[in-house]
Amino acid sequence: MAQAAVKMDEPELIRAAQRGDQRAFEQLVRLYDQNVLRLAMNLLRSPEDANDIYQEAFLRVYKNLHTFRFDCSFHTWLYRIVTNLCLDALRKRRVRREEDTVVETSEGFLDRMDTVEESRADGDPQRQLMSGQLRVRIREVLDGLTPRERAVFEMRHYQGLRLRAIGDMLGTSEEAAKNCLFRATQKMRAALGDFV
Amino acid sequence: MKCDDARKTLPLFLYGELSFEDEERLEIHLDECDGCRAALGREKAMFKSLDSAEMIPSAALLADCRAELRRRLANVEPDRANFWDKIRQGFTIHFHFAPGLAQVGGALAMLLIGFYGAHMAPASFPGSVRQAGLVEPPATSRVRYVEPVGGGKVQIVVDETTQRVLSGTIDDQSIQRLLLTAAKDPSDAGLRVESVNLLKNQPQSAEVRSALLYAVQHDSNAGVRLKALDGLKDFADDPETRQTLTQVLLKDDCPGVRTQVIDLLIQHHADNMVPVLQEVMGKEQNGYIRMRCQRALRDMNASVETY
Repeated sequence: MAQAAVKMDEPELIRAAQRGDQRAFEQLVRLYDQNVLRLAMNLLRSPEDANDIYQEAFLRVYKNLHTFRFDCSFHTWLYRIVTNLCLDALRKRRVRREEDTVVETSEGFLDRMDTVEESRADGDPQRQLMSGQLRVRIREVLDGLTPRERAVFEMRHYQGLRLRAIGDMLGTSEEAAKNCLFRATQKMRAALGDFV
Repeated sequence: MKCDDARKTLPLFLYGELSFEDEERLEIHLDECDGCRAALGREKAMFKSLDSAEMIPSAALLADCRAELRRRLANVEPDRANFWDKIRQGFTIHFHFAPGLAQVGGALAMLLIGFYGAHMAPASFPGSVRQAGLVEPPATSRVRYVEPVGGGKVQIVVDETTQRVLSGTIDDQSIQRLLLTAAKDPSDAGLRVESVNLLKNQPQSAEVRSALLYAVQHDSNAGVRLKALDGLKDFADDPETRQTLTQVLLKDDCPGVRTQVIDLLIQHHADNMVPVLQEVMGKEQNGYIRMRCQRALRDMNASVETY
């Protein structure tokens, strides 16, 4: 099935979705969902958990869209929801002390997530190319960061968001976000010093 | 600025998050200090290795997420505005109307206010309002142009777009044309991935092949480029395709794309690939890709480097 593309700008899409226009809501989702999934994937390092965050975030948006009053950008509003969900999941994970996805085998380090990805048609070859040891070390460092440090680092480094926007999304100041990022990079430098 | 202070600010400098003054002071210090310049180099190297640790969700995962969301939305109703929300909305100016009963209630309230207001206002009330003849704009309308035309009137140009649902097989020309357009939609990478995914099953069409070549070369999203490469795998011996793939191999910034391109190019042991692979060996940073090139060159009995 092919569908004729309809062009509306973002505020128009939001208003149409608030009126119950399903197509508009779907278009609104598609403006952001790749980045939402990427953020969740990088924070939680699990396709299944990233999918859970994706579903929960957009369902919450759908249910609560009528409360959105354009007081902030939709991007900020959406990311507040996504980062809160991710932070909750990371905190729970810390409590549960989940088993690491990386295991050491006779053939070196094996990331069980690679197996998950490879079974899909679109496994990302880029991940498969990384040096095993460096990847394990980076994973360890990221796991050692606090959930907030991790969220700020992911949003700044991989999503390219400005610290001011990150502060808005996490309900904190730009300065606090800057301190988080500073601490995160210091830990990275200390842990990756021998590798890079 | 002291070296300790300079080194602490290097990450924020690379992220472009220093104030103008701090950046200026750091740059002056870097000009004068070899040690801090070396530290900056190490910091850049660390950033680069962190870049390569990013996980990019596969197009299949994205498609699964979208399909699941669509299924779940079908069973969920958006929360309704509560009483106070409705009251607040009543005092808010919107350029659309509330749905269902609220619309009828609102219309009645407006009629009553207008009726009693008109009867209670003195006949000589200045600035009496004439009917504007405003019609509710359709959901997909957009005001393109406004202009005062004299006599207190305004002329407004409205773009209106209507939605249509089309269905048909991929070899249907009108469907294919829409898919070709969607495959280049700059605002929606997901739409491009899905369109290219459908088109890649029709690479025998010259138009589709040309769209796939364009996507491989120009699409900003690595997922779309990988999908397009998938569609070109049966044309790896076509001269035009090989020429495009060679350019992609030398320029693409995604190691995953470069790896797939090498796989396609070395399927056929063409001698003209030797200088290309040697050039890749000279500039490629990625160890895995270097290893693939090295192996391909050895298979072709060519030297690994140019001398």
